[in-house]
Amino acid sequence: MKKFFVFILIFSLIVVTSLIKNSTKKIDDDIYSLNENIRFLKTRLENTKLEYDYLSSSEKLLEYQKLYFENSLQKFSIDQINTIEILNNELFFDKLRVTD
Amino acid sequence: MENNKSRFILEETNDDFQFGKYKSHIDIKFNRIAFIFFVFFIISFIYSIHLVHLGSRESDVKIIKQPQMNNLAKRADIVDKNGTFLAKTVSSIDIGINPVEIIDSKKLIINLKYIFPNKDYDLIKLNIKKKKFFWFEKMVSDENYEKLMRLGDKSIKPQEKIRRLYPQKNLFSHIIGQIDDDNMGISGLEKSLDEILKQNNSPIELSVDKDIQFLIREELIKFNKIFNTLGSAAILMNVNTGEIISIVSLPDFDPNQRNTITDVNYINRATKGVYELGSVFKTFTLAAALNKRTVEPQTKFKDLKKSIRCGKNIINEYDKNIPSDLTAEQILIRSGNIGSVKIGQSVGIDDYKKFLNDLSLINRINFDIEEVGVPISFNWGKCKLATVSYGHGITTTLLQLANAYSILANGGYQIQPTLVKIKGNLDQKKLFEKDISSKIVSILRKIVILKEGTASLANVEGYEVGGKTGTAQKSAIGGYSRDKINTFASIFPTSKPKYSLVVMLDEPKINNEYIYHYRDGSGIKYKGTPFNTAGWTSVEVAGQIIEKIGPILATKYKEIN
Repeated sequence: MKKFFVFILIFSLIVVTSLIKNSTKKIDDDIYSLNENIRFLKTRLENTKLEYDYLSSSEKLLEYQKLYFENSLQKFSIDQINTIEILNNELFFDKLRVTD
Repeated sequence: MENNKSRFILEETNDDFQFGKYKSHIDIKFNRIAFIFFVFFIISFIYSIHLVHLGSRESDVKIIKQPQMNNLAKRADIVDKNGTFLAKTVSSIDIGINPVEIIDSKKLIINLKYIFPNKDYDLIKLNIKKKKFFWFEKMVSDENYEKLMRLGDKSIKPQEKIRRLYPQKNLFSHIIGQIDDDNMGISGLEKSLDEILKQNNSPIELSVDKDIQFLIREELIKFNKIFNTLGSAAILMNVNTGEIISIVSLPDFDPNQRNTITDVNYINRATKGVYELGSVFKTFTLAAALNKRTVEPQTKFKDLKKSIRCGKNIINEYDKNIPSDLTAEQILIRSGNIGSVKIGQSVGIDDYKKFLNDLSLINRINFDIEEVGVPISFNWGKCKLATVSYGHGITTTLLQLANAYSILANGGYQIQPTLVKIKGNLDQKKLFEKDISSKIVSILRKIVILKEGTASLANVEGYEVGGKTGTAQKSAIGGYSRDKINTFASIFPTSKPKYSLVVMLDEPKINNEYIYHYRDGSGIKYKGTPFNTAGWTSVEVAGQIIEKIGPILATKYKEIN
């Protein structure tokens, strides 16, 4: 009787293992397809970023400036820009410097 | 007899055979169960092996994935410090046509004309007649690829290929370099980082900034036309880390074209070109003397001659009106040759040579790309020390000059110039005391702000620029030519140096039409280049560059705590 239970136990373990393995196989497949989707989306993102980098390059921006904002953009020198700092609820203005 | 009988019976009951028979019966029963268990064990063992095999199924997936990856030769992207692509690997589809498999060539050509109306179809018809495979269109768009596939013609053969794109075109051509058709780096970082690029999946981050690079390149192109130069170069470096923010050498090229460049004028003037850079070396002479404590900025040199002779060499002052009595500081501000010789002599050959060597000026410097020039070696002597003291007869690269000025400005810490973004802390060796650095930086500032200085055109308001000019004649066979190399090595802001900018113009000429705007607040304008010196050429270029890039450096790179 004892041997029979041992046999049943081993058999049931084998069956349970195979069932778990089967379900993990499905999860593995899902993970694989998700990874593939991520890879595809990543490539698309990179290509879009490449396009963005090209369209927003300094060369292109100057072209757009000439096309659309011929005289509307102004150049500011460093002494025209100030920094604002809030200390103890008070505003402090300081000249902008190249260093920190 | 009775006794004998009873004895016989006794022997019969102790029969060995009967006992043995009983024992063997038990054995058979036990072996049968053991055998069944053994069979089950074997079955479960085989099943376990199968499970283990199934468990290792992931490796099978990898095997399936790998050939796809290998088909598309891998090469990591290169990005600038803000993550903008400088080099990118993309897959593209080339379309070929195999004429042997064409069923109806007329129909195919009509369909192709509909998708690609601008192609030369006479040539295509000729190729079809030749009955040999040919490439119809390279790098087709996804949209056109889909249209072509919808035609369902078996003769249309798509092939996926990888392409290395350089979206910034000429901007980084000298440092990024190129690859060949076999995915092998042939120049620049593509060559020096070839293995890393092939192994890495994530992009390689550089220290350069494409916006600053663009602005500096634009200014150099503009002034190349104004001063009609043969070429030019500029380097912007972080003095504390050695990170290069911009490095431009003109003329440059578009790496997307994949042309083989044989013209020597396309040399990387920033790293590969070795030049005599002239008076910019006087700063090192004074720094060496300050380091040896033989001279202080206010040390007076009296009765300085206008001309001295050392062996075959006659050393003259460029500025004939230079006073005879000058302090060490004034010698550097007025760029005195004879005074610099005296300062150099106070240092001595060994100490001066060691100082230049510590600043990595006279030997090959380690850098991220292989295109690095080697300064021409020479034999040191009494007269060589005299000429080297004022920057004559000594060569180096622009990169080494920028590196040495950065060390002078950062408090004397040794740095390694790099194009790759530094992650983590630097272990820096101290070469000299901070007070040497402070004294030199203060004098460099005076060169820009004082009237008798040679670099007032670089006095851009708000940036506290300091620097030293260098006008040198180009060496030619058997001596020197009339052509010049005009250099300006600068650091800014002098109150707390953060950047060094070195600008070099190769063979500039004077321009009689160019209008200079004085930066002394007087509002004076001056038409035409009076002298072909660094003070009137490369200093003006550096000033214009700092004016353009300054707001970006002051805002974009401001660390907010």
